[in-house]
Parts: sequence; C-alpha cells; structure tokens
Amino acid sequence: MIEKRRGALRIVALPPAACALGLIPGMALADARARIPGLPAFDHDPSGDAALLMWLVGACERYTPTVAASGTQSLVMDLTGCLEVAGMDEGQLHRDLQARLARQGLQSALAWASTPDAALALARFGCARAEDLPVAALELDGGVHLALQRAGLRRIGDLKTRPRAALAARFGTQLPVQLACLLGEEDRHITPHRTPPAIYAECRFAEPMATLAPLLDVIRALAGDTERQLAQRAWGGRRFEVTLFRTDGHVTHLSVASGQVLRDPARIATLFNERLETLADPLDPGFGYDMMRLAVPVTQELAEEQADLASDSRTQGNITALLDRLTTRFGAESLCRFHPRDEHFPEYAASFSPMPPQAHEWPARAEGDPPLRPLFLYDPPQRTSVLAEVPDGPPLRFSWRGQQHLVLRHEGPERIAYPWWKHPDGHGPTRDYYRVEDDQGRRFWLFRHGLYGQESTHPQWYVHGLFA
Amino acid sequence: MSSVTAPRYAELVAATSFSFLRGASQPADMVTRALELGHAGIGIADRNSVAGVVRAHVALRDAVERAQGAGQPTPYFHLLVGARLGFADGTPDIIAYPSTRRGWGRLTRLLSAGNLRATKGECLLYEADLFTFLDDWQLIVMPPADDKLLARLIRAAPCRVWLGAAMPRMGRDARLLERLHQQAARIGLPLIATNDALYASPAMRPLHDVMSAIREKVTVQQAGRRLGANAERHLKSTAEMARLFATAPQALEEIPRFMAGIHFTLDQLRYEYPHEPVPHGYTPQGWLKELVWDHAHARWPDGVPDKVQRLLHEELEIIHSAQYAPYFLTVHDIVQYAQGQGILCQGRGSAANSAVCFVLGITAVDPTKHNLLFSRFISPERKEPPDIDVDFEHERREEVMQYTYKRYGRHRAGIAATVIRYRPRSAVREVGKALGLSEDITARLASTVWGSYARSYDRQRCVESGLDPDNPTIARVNDFVTQLLGYPRHLSQHVGGFVLTQDRLDETVPIHNAAMEGRTFIEWDKDDIDALGLMKVDVLALGMLTCIRKAFALIETHIGRQYRLDNVPGDAPDVYEMLQRGDSIGVFQVESRAQMNMLPRLKPREFYDLVIQVAIVRPGPIQGDMVHPYLRRRQGIEKVTFPSPAPPHDPDELRHLLGKTNGVPLFQEQAMKLAIVAADFTPAEANRLRRAMATFRNLGTMELFEGKLVHGMVSRGYDVDFARRCFKQIEGFGSYGFPESHALAFARLVWVSAYIKCRYPAVFAAALLNAQPMGFYAPAQIVCDAREHGINVRPVDINHSSWDNGLEGNELPFTLRLGMRQITGFRQDWADRIAATAPFADMEQMARRARLPQRALHLLADADAMQSIGLDRRTALWEARRMPPDELPLFAAAQAGELAAEPDAMLPTMPLSAQVAADYQTMRLSLKAHPMQFLRSLFDAEGILPCAALAHATNGSFAKVAGVVLVRQRPGKGNAIFVTLEDEGGIANVVIWARLFENYRREVMAARLMLVEGEVQKSPEGVIHLMASHIHDRTAELHRLSETHNPQTPPSRADEFVHPQHPRNVRVLPQSRDFH
Repeated sequence: MIEKRRGALRIVALPPAACALGLIPGMALADARARIPGLPAFDHDPSGDAALLMWLVGACERYTPTVAASGTQSLVMDLTGCLEVAGMDEGQLHRDLQARLARQGLQSALAWASTPDAALALARFGCARAEDLPVAALELDGGVHLALQRAGLRRIGDLKTRPRAALAARFGTQLPVQLACLLGEEDRHITPHRTPPAIYAECRFAEPMATLAPLLDVIRALAGDTERQLAQRAWGGRRFEVTLFRTDGHVTHLSVASGQVLRDPARIATLFNERLETLADPLDPGFGYDMMRLAVPVTQELAEEQADLASDSRTQGNITALLDRLTTRFGAESLCRFHPRDEHFPEYAASFSPMPPQAHEWPARAEGDPPLRPLFLYDPPQRTSVLAEVPDGPPLRFSWRGQQHLVLRHEGPERIAYPWWKHPDGHGPTRDYYRVEDDQGRRFWLFRHGLYGQESTHPQWYVHGLFA
Repeated sequence: MSSVTAPRYAELVAATSFSFLRGASQPADMVTRALELGHAGIGIADRNSVAGVVRAHVALRDAVERAQGAGQPTPYFHLLVGARLGFADGTPDIIAYPSTRRGWGRLTRLLSAGNLRATKGECLLYEADLFTFLDDWQLIVMPPADDKLLARLIRAAPCRVWLGAAMPRMGRDARLLERLHQQAARIGLPLIATNDALYASPAMRPLHDVMSAIREKVTVQQAGRRLGANAERHLKSTAEMARLFATAPQALEEIPRFMAGIHFTLDQLRYEYPHEPVPHGYTPQGWLKELVWDHAHARWPDGVPDKVQRLLHEELEIIHSAQYAPYFLTVHDIVQYAQGQGILCQGRGSAANSAVCFVLGITAVDPTKHNLLFSRFISPERKEPPDIDVDFEHERREEVMQYTYKRYGRHRAGIAATVIRYRPRSAVREVGKALGLSEDITARLASTVWGSYARSYDRQRCVESGLDPDNPTIARVNDFVTQLLGYPRHLSQHVGGFVLTQDRLDETVPIHNAAMEGRTFIEWDKDDIDALGLMKVDVLALGMLTCIRKAFALIETHIGRQYRLDNVPGDAPDVYEMLQRGDSIGVFQVESRAQMNMLPRLKPREFYDLVIQVAIVRPGPIQGDMVHPYLRRRQGIEKVTFPSPAPPHDPDELRHLLGKTNGVPLFQEQAMKLAIVAADFTPAEANRLRRAMATFRNLGTMELFEGKLVHGMVSRGYDVDFARRCFKQIEGFGSYGFPESHALAFARLVWVSAYIKCRYPAVFAAALLNAQPMGFYAPAQIVCDAREHGINVRPVDINHSSWDNGLEGNELPFTLRLGMRQITGFRQDWADRIAATAPFADMEQMARRARLPQRALHLLADADAMQSIGLDRRTALWEARRMPPDELPLFAAAQAGELAAEPDAMLPTMPLSAQVAADYQTMRLSLKAHPMQFLRSLFDAEGILPCAALAHATNGSFAKVAGVVLVRQRPGKGNAIFVTLEDEGGIANVVIWARLFENYRREVMAARLMLVEGEVQKSPEGVIHLMASHIHDRTAELHRLSETHNPQTPPSRADEFVHPQHPRNVRVLPQSRDFH
C-alpha cells in the first residue's frame, strides 16, 4: 500500500511477506522498487480502511452498545455487564468474535483487560500481562522512548516498581499517567462511535414490518416529525437518511440529497420513492424490520417563506425540483450539458458531460469582431472540395452537398496544429481554418487538412461548422 | 513585384533558451538557422536578460571562422544584441537594442536595477525605468500598446521607436495588421515586421510545448491554450515573410533601416583592469617587475639562480607584450591578503605554474624543478587572459571573497554565473511530469541515470529498471530528455569566479542577487567571460587546505616545527613507500578506491609520478584506454615507442610531446596538442575543437570533430585504433578536463598531505577530523585508519576534550583525543564553555559553570563523555534527565548543588555490544569495539573469513566474508560495482559485475551489513579483490548488538548510492584552456 507523502510515494502498509524482505513502512516506493523490481503496489485508501473499521464497529454493536474505533486499526468494546445479555462467557465471546472476523478474511489480535488502554496495548503488542509490554506501549514521544531504552528500561515491568516521582522528573509528567492507564490503575471512558444527529425521528414496530408496502407512509410520518423539529429551528434539510434495522441485526441505510433546502414531508417522501424504485438490489425485509429512523444529517437555514406572487421564482423552483427529481431518478451522471474546455482543437474545446462547470470560461469574443467559432459544429467534419491557391491561400469556391458556393469574403487562416501528445506517433495534420461567406450570405467554417507541401501534397478540405 | 526585390529578412524579435522555458532553441541554433535561411541578421532579445547573447556572438564568430577556413565567402550578417523588456506594471513588452556602447551600459544598468529589486530569479521593471534609461536604444513596441504610451515614447526617443507587427496565423491577422497600420499612421510610427520567434524551426514545437508545460507546472494534456496553437513562431524565410506581409511591404523595408542604426557589438566591451593593486607613480608592468625582483632577492638572498633569472626575464617579457601585468598584480593582491590573514592558499592553472607566480608566492610548485611540458604559459596569439585559479581553505574562503568585494567595491566586483543546465535526472523528472507520467514511473526513470553528472540518458539502464524503452510514452520522454539536455534551467552563482572591472560592472553586464546573503553575481558564466576576454579570478574553496593548515598549526604547537606549503621536504622515501602500499586514506586526491588500487601499480617514486597518478584515474585516459599501456610501459613490460606518421611526415613529431609520459598521452594538453600535430588541424580548427571541448559542453558538438580527427590522423599514416582512442580520450576530457598544470598543483598537495600522514599520523587524523566535512571518508574510517597506524585514540570526555579533536602527550606519536564536534548535534559554544570551565567533579557543577542546557547534557551523556566523573552512559543519562530543561540561572548565586540526593537507581548494566551500538548511534564511531566483533562467533560458525584473512587466501580460491558496508561505487561505464566491507580486523574489496548486480540489486543497495561469497583475485602488485558470486543482506544481525539501539553504520562520503553526487573537493577540476 502506498501513499504520496512529502512529494514521494511511500509505503504505508505491508503484508508479512514484504516485511520479511526487509521493506518497512515509510520507505519510498522508488527505493523499494530499486531493491525488488516489479514490486506490486496499490494506492493506500485511508477512507476505505476507515469505512471498513466503521463497518466493524457497527457489526460489533451486537455485543455491546459501547463500541468505539481507536486510531485507524483498532476498536475497543466495553463489555461490562454485556456478557450475560449476550449469553456468552469471555472465552465464548472471544472465539465467536474471532471466528466472525476470520470469516471476513481479517486477521485480528484480541485482548481483554480492565481498562481500554491496557486492552489496546496488550492486543497491539501481543502480550499477556501489562508487565511484559514494551515501553513503546506508553505511546510517548520518540525522545522519551529512546531515553528509556538507553536507561535500560525496556518493559513496563521495569518501570512499575520505580518511584513515579523520579520517573516524572526525568521523562515528563505524562509518563506516570500513561503507566497508570496501562497498569489498569486508572480508567478512561470510551466515547461510543455513533452520536445521533441533532434532528431525527424514529419509530419501533411492535410487530416486525415484513413488507415494504407501508414503508413510504412511515417515512412520510417520520418526515412530518422532523418537519416540526426543523421548523422550530428555522432549518431545512439537504440530506435525509433512513435507517432500517432488521430483526436479525442487519442494518440498511438509504439516503437522498436535495438541491434545495427542504422540509416538506411530501417532497421528502417523493425523493425516497424515486430512490427506492432505482435501487439496484431491492430491499430484502427478511424476517422484517423492527425499527426505523429518519435522520437529517445535513441541515441549512430555511426562513419561513411567504408565497410570492411573481411567477419567476416559482419557475426557478420548479426547474430545481425537476432537476432534483431527474437526478434522483436517473442518477446524476445522466444529466449532461456543454462545458468549455481549455483546448485549441475545436473537437476538444467543449465537452458534453454531467460534471459541474469547470473553472474555464467560453473564450471571449473580441469586441467589434465577428465570432471566431461557429455556433454549430459538425462531428465529424464534412468533406468538401475547394478551389484555393497553393500553398496556403484562402478558399475561392467550394462545393458541398451538391451545391456550389462562391466565396465572397473570407478571414483566416487560423492555424491549429495537431495536439501531438494525443497520438502515439506524435504528429498529425495541421488545420488552416477559414471563416467564409458565400454569395448567398451564408457563413461557413472551413479548414484545409494538412499544410501543403509539408504535410500533404493534396490537402483535403472540410466544412467543420456553420455560423449563425 | 516587391517580393522578388525584397531585402533579405532578419528576425529582430528572437527569443532563445535563455528566456527560460519560453524560448525552445539555443542561441547558437537560432544564429545557425538564420544563416542557413540567408537572413541579413538576427536580433537576440531574451526576456529581461542578456544571458544568451554571448553564445550567439560566439556562434556567429565560429560560423565566420568556419566559412573562412573552408574558403567560402562570409555573408554579411548583423547580430543585434538586446533584451525583451517585460514589465511588472502592464506596460507592453518592448524590445530594446542598444545602438552604442553607452546604450549597452544603460541596458545592463536597467536590467541590474530590475534584478536587484526583486528576489532571486525575477526582474521587476516599471514603465518609469524605461524612460530613465532609454538613451541610445532603438525600441520595438510589441502590440497591443495604447496611443498615450506610444506618443510619450516618440517624444522621449524620436525616430528610435517602431511598432512591431506579427502574423502568427491566429485567424484575425489581417484585421489586426490593418488596425496596427492605422494606429502607426495615427501616431506617426513606422511599423516593423517580426515573427516574434520562439524557436529555430517548426519541428521544435513539441519541445516548446513541453517547456511551456514545465513553466506553467501543468501537464501538456492539461495546459490547453497556455500552449501555442501552432508551430508558426519559428524563423521564417524571406519569401514567406514577404508573402505574409504582402499587404504591408513597408513593414519589411523597415528592417534594414532598423539594423543600420545599431552600431554596437559585443566586441566593443573593451576591458580595463582595475588599478587598485598598482601604487601611484608606477605602471603596472613596472610595479610587477619591482615586486618580482624584490621577492626573488628575498627568497634567494645569496643571488637568484641563473635558471630562475632567465625564466623570470622571459616571462616578464611575455607579460609585458600581452599587457597582463594588472592581472598578475590582482591575483597577487588577493593572495597576499589571504596570507596576511593566515589563510592557506595555492594557485593552479597554466599561468600559476610560472616562475613569476612561484616567486610571488602564488604557488608552491617550483617551476625550476619541473620541466613543464609547455614553457609558454600564455598564448599571446589567442588574446585570452591567463588562467590562474586560487584555492583557499574552505572554512575561510568567505573572508577572501568579502575582502575582494570590499577592495573593489560591489559595483565593480561580481561573481560569475553558473548556468544550471538540464541534466539527465532533472530533465527526466520534469519532462516526465510535463507528459503526465505518474510520479513513481518518473522516479524510476530518473533513477536509471547514475549520478547527477551522468552525461547521457542510457537506454540500457532504462531496460534494467524494468521499463520498456520502446513504449511510446517512455520513448517520447527519452526523446524530449535528449533534446532538453544541456538547455539552461536557471542561473546560479559560480563557486568563486570573480570578475573585476575598473568602471561600473553593471555597465558591462547585468547583476543579480544571489541566494546567499551579501552576494551578487553577474549574468554571464565563465565561458561567456572567456569569450569576451574579461578578466576573472577564481577564488575557490578546498577542504584539504583547511586540513593542512590545521595540521601545520598542531605541529607548531606540539612540536614547534613550522611548516609552509613550500617548505615541506620533497624527498622522503618513507612517504613514497607509504603511497606505494596504497596506504592513502585521507591523502588528497589519491584516497579513492580507484586511486588506491592504482598506487601499488604505478608505484610513485618521485614527484612527477604523483602528477601522473593524479591525472591518470580520470575519464580522459580511461575512456581513451591509455591507462594500461602506460602502466605496462612503466613496469617495463612493454617497450616505449612513439606513434609515428608515415613518410614524408616527421616520424618523431610526437616524441617531444609524449616524452615524459612514456609515449602515452595522459594530460589534456597532450591530447589536444596531439590532435593538432598528428591530425594536422589548422589553428582555427584547433581553436574550435578547444572551444567545443573546453567551453561549451554541448552534446553533439564534439562529434563533428571525430571524423576530422580520425581521418586526419589516419591519412597521415597513424594507426586507426590509436586515432580512435585519442578521440575518445579527448571526449573524456570534455567531461572533466585534467591538464598537467592543475595536476602539478594538486600533486603538491598530495605530497604535503601524504607527508603529514606518514610522519605525523595523529596530527593528520585530528586535522582531517577537524576539517570535516571533506574528502571521501567518514570519521569512523579516519579514526580506524589512525588506530591501525598505531595511534592511541581516546574518547570524548568533558574533562579532556574541547570542540576540536586534539592531541595528548608530549612526543610522537601523540595520542588522539576526540573532540566534542564528533557528537552529532553538539554545538561549538557549548564545547567552548565546557573547555573554558573544566575540570568538573560532577554533572551539576558542569551544567552550572558552563551554563549548559539540558539538551547539551543529554548529548554528552548519550555520547558517554562523562567517564571521568565516574558516570557511565546509563547513569549519566539518568542523571542528565533530571536536570531542569534550560540553563540553571538559580544556581548561579548558590554554589552548592540544589538537586536532592536520590538513592542509586540500580539501572541494569549496559552490555558492551549495546554500548558499541549506542556509540555508533550518537557519534557514528566507537572506540570500544567494532560491531562485527560481537557477531564473529556467529559468522565463524558459518565459515565466514575475517576480511584480513583474504590476504592469506590463495588466488582463485573461494571465500566468504562479511562486513559493514563502507563504500559502494559504480564508476565509469557501470560494468562493475565496487563495494568495500569493513570488519573488526580490516577491509575487503568486493567487485560485483553488473549482471550479478541485477540479481542482487536489493541486497547491494540496502545492506548495511553484507555477506559476500566469491572468488579471491590477487594482482601481482598485491591488490586483493573478492569477485562476488553470491550476496546476502545480513543487516538484521546488527540488531543482535542491542535490542534497543539500531547502530548507524554510515557509509563513507564517497558512497554513490547514498550520495549520488561527487563529494565536495572531489569535484574534479574546472575546465581549463591552457594548451596551444
């Protein structure tokens, strides 16, 4: 796994086999490759890792409500009083968890201790007793760590019996605190992972809901609940999330986003309706849902709106609403528009894409000049036969679609060379573009394909566009 | 029509590669192309710079010389030099050409002003500056420009302003030309035709696009309209320009009119030497004469020897006829200052080896003792200033430079520029980025270039690193890299070449701010300065001089003997014996692995052998395959013969030339002279070869000479093979020229440092350590070498050490006491306070008296430097961590210690192996033991020999050794990798063939502790190599020493895998121009 750090690609994580080859995290990929040519490397995906950890946190809620992620690689559970509820003793739970993790293809190190710090350290260093832990488990800075090593104090056990005051004088006041945590003398509380959003509504069903039919109604009801909460705060929502808790512990999240700030239950229900219809995998209620929650994780201020008599804003609102519905139904990638791109070559100078507008502007037109580019572009350009002077004279007359055009006025050439980097050979014909007006007053955009005598002996001509 | 009779076109707005990343052709290529097109001239105008004009000037000069040589008529061609002024306040670009020498001075002053008010690398100009300086210029204003500005310009410079018009084929050209036409008519300005050229030919467009992308820090794919739309901005033929400007022929007719107004050429930069060193009432020559004879009489009070008298007379006569006296006086002035300050220095270069320089104390090489190959030290016919470089102690050179600034004033003294060019590594990195390659591919491509000084991009290396050179993108990168190599990247200051003028320097050349505070440098590099005949004094830094001065000082304090560079005895058989053994760690120039292998073969017996020794292990002789023939002849295996031509040519024509080197050309002068004599070059050709080789190191220029030289020699009856080798050698010198005159000066320092090492080994080691960083070896290896020479080395200790490494004891051999400078991260002021207030009885007392912060105490404790107060590393550290973090102001009043007594901490004792590991971690060396000592039993069990045992192994036998990696080098063509291993008893020299290296790449590059299996090879001279067949990385074993300390075993400074550049001072000599 690699990541870009300080301008270089560096290794962040390694499988055991690679460690055996002497590679270490933090090493530059180039160095590693110099030693092992062809070393496969993959981009580090911290958010993916975090998501996996979060998923594990969610999954572990089956043992206890108090589960929290610790750092990027570990999680900690407070199982006080939970064993009876789960109906397992320590050993059973240990084996159960280990088996489940193994089924997911995960390697794990599990440890029990009376405090979270001690448990995490024991798991991380694979020790059975706190006394056996290396001093690195104190997680103090490198200087203190090295100083302890230099003093010959390598394990927590070496520190345990020493006067804490003497240690604090030398290694900082943090050391005795950390030491106490590791030795289980001091407890720190776990902050559980899930903090409920400010605005949410939930309902529990006495009978598990085994069909999806009432789902939208429930959503609408819950939305009514959130509407009141939102209105109280003069807020609206930009995102809404429905969480469906299945009786067997499976959890499904559905969420919709809106372009407008929203709190109307009907509109919210409509968006969820679109969402449900476009789900790739239909919801599987299994043995039924026993609980549902509607949360509003993204909110924004929304003042009470007075009905406006002018129709403009209403139209605008309708378009936004339409766009919301269309994007929710067909997916954001199905709505396209033209965007300007920073390119010389006309074919590449615009893109038809769903992406939000880029920083580029359409090229500005010189004041008082006719436009350089036509409104309509043929793709591909259309062949035409042209009478023009060599080597690079303007077109005098041309025939196109069976019609003769006599060129009365022309301007050009605008010479655009081939973007050599787009082609493996690195070269292609240059184009000489002319804006011409024929005897009927029609305006065309023509180009000569290839420089006469240099790139081509008989350059072809094309009509590439029509001016308004 | 007018196109038939149209005057020859001349491009007056031509940018070159010195408009950094804007122009895509070198100045010489622009001039050459303009000549090919039959233009009437060219105007070189780079953006706010005149850095490229000298190269254009030289290119034209060469072209004219070449045409004359070939008996062709020389076309009239007018080179205009100026600059394109780009303003910071929205004023349009204005091309300025000085029409007189005065105008040139005003242009360079304007540019200097712009440079000096900006931070490095920019030039900030405003409209007001233009109006201040525009006297004696002709101007082309590039549109769009508003009427008001144009009107003001006409008032300020009547009849000297033109409005530039270009037809770049952007679709609206005709429309815009018509508008310009109207504007010009309205204001009363002539319109002048240009093509605003950025490159010589349309084929350069892709390179220009890549350079634009590099400039804009984007990829070519993303650059969009920041790139040019087409390839039109090249030099166009007269006919094409006439066609483009068919509607405005008068714009073309303005070109000859414009050029006719320009009378300035760079040849007018007449040079006047500074007058400072000459007292009132003397002519420079008279004063030089007086100085020389005064010094001569002082040196030989009983009468100046006849030979010296004769030499001095001769030389003074040459100096007089060439009027170089001020130059010698200036160098003498600077050297005299340095000597007055006790700064050791030595001159080198052809002129430095003159009797005049010897008498004046500029050099310590006695010219009467060495018959220099060429007695003529300057060539009057070449009209170039003589060549003297002066090396100063690297630690104190800044004093000399500041003196020079003070003596001549900042307005008259400036450091030459160094044009930083694209090297393969930098080119690969930037081109790769511009083409959008991912960073790791670019890094891999760049890593295939060995060392940043590599000359060419090697296809083979590309394959080695697992990239396909035929892949279109990779091939494209390679293609652009090849094109970009040698292009200027930016200007930087030269290491020490001073240009001194009598008048304002900024009226000759623009001045820039250097990155270093208090430094300014001029825009031209030393090649430009040479080409224009300006005077330059090289004030260079040399680490070995620092070392020698420190050694002399130690000898004087401890022994009372006074040494100078020129009074170290020249005959000492024991010193030669030491060198013959290859026992030369730390000795100047001959301490590299290659030199150490050469010493037992060459077996130097006299001073001149050292001169050859210094010169022979160089790219020139190696590439020319001259080394082995020389060695064979020297050892008497081969007869000394002189290559000779067929009749009717003089068969002995090379006898004089190659006499001193057994008929084998070894020095740069010999190779050059050989080309001239044996291949019968005309003086002009020789001059161009010399320039191609010694000055503009462009790739490609040398190839022109290959056919000429080989053919010339063969047609005169020389052996083809010999001719080829001669050319290869000259090519090799092209990368690192090594003339005899420099070798002589260096050989003197070889001798002095070898003498000190041999007679005063403890002094030498101390001085070498105190002069770090310098040379090839890390402190651990220097200390180890000293101990092997029987020197007792004592550890750093608060009660005995000072900052520097010092000597203890009263007589030879002294004991070496390590100084606190060896502790990584320690500071001199701490050390000085400790030394001033020692001795101490305990740590608190020391902390109080020497006012040490906690960090200093930690470092001292960590370095185990408190043994004398009874604290070992562990207890010292335990104690030190207890001290308050800052100095102890509270204790200043109270004399008694304040820290309460604590019970003994009873810390576990540190095993010796852990001590050694910690020593390496804190000081990178250990006096207690070698890390390998603790692993010996382990390795014994595996049948691994100690390195020293290789000496007793039979030739061809199989052996396994293991050791800490000292040096990894891949010299020359990279066929073999040399690795030096060290264990507790000695070192082993390992050779790994390139093919094997590919199998063991990871081990070779990563191992700090390496195990090598292979065959023992012994040369007749006793050089032992282990030819590797298997390599293992055993670095992990080092962790056995200590669970907690990861010992740092630093490779030497010469290790190319860690320091891919040449270590300081090993940087081979600058190019020289002293041959005829």
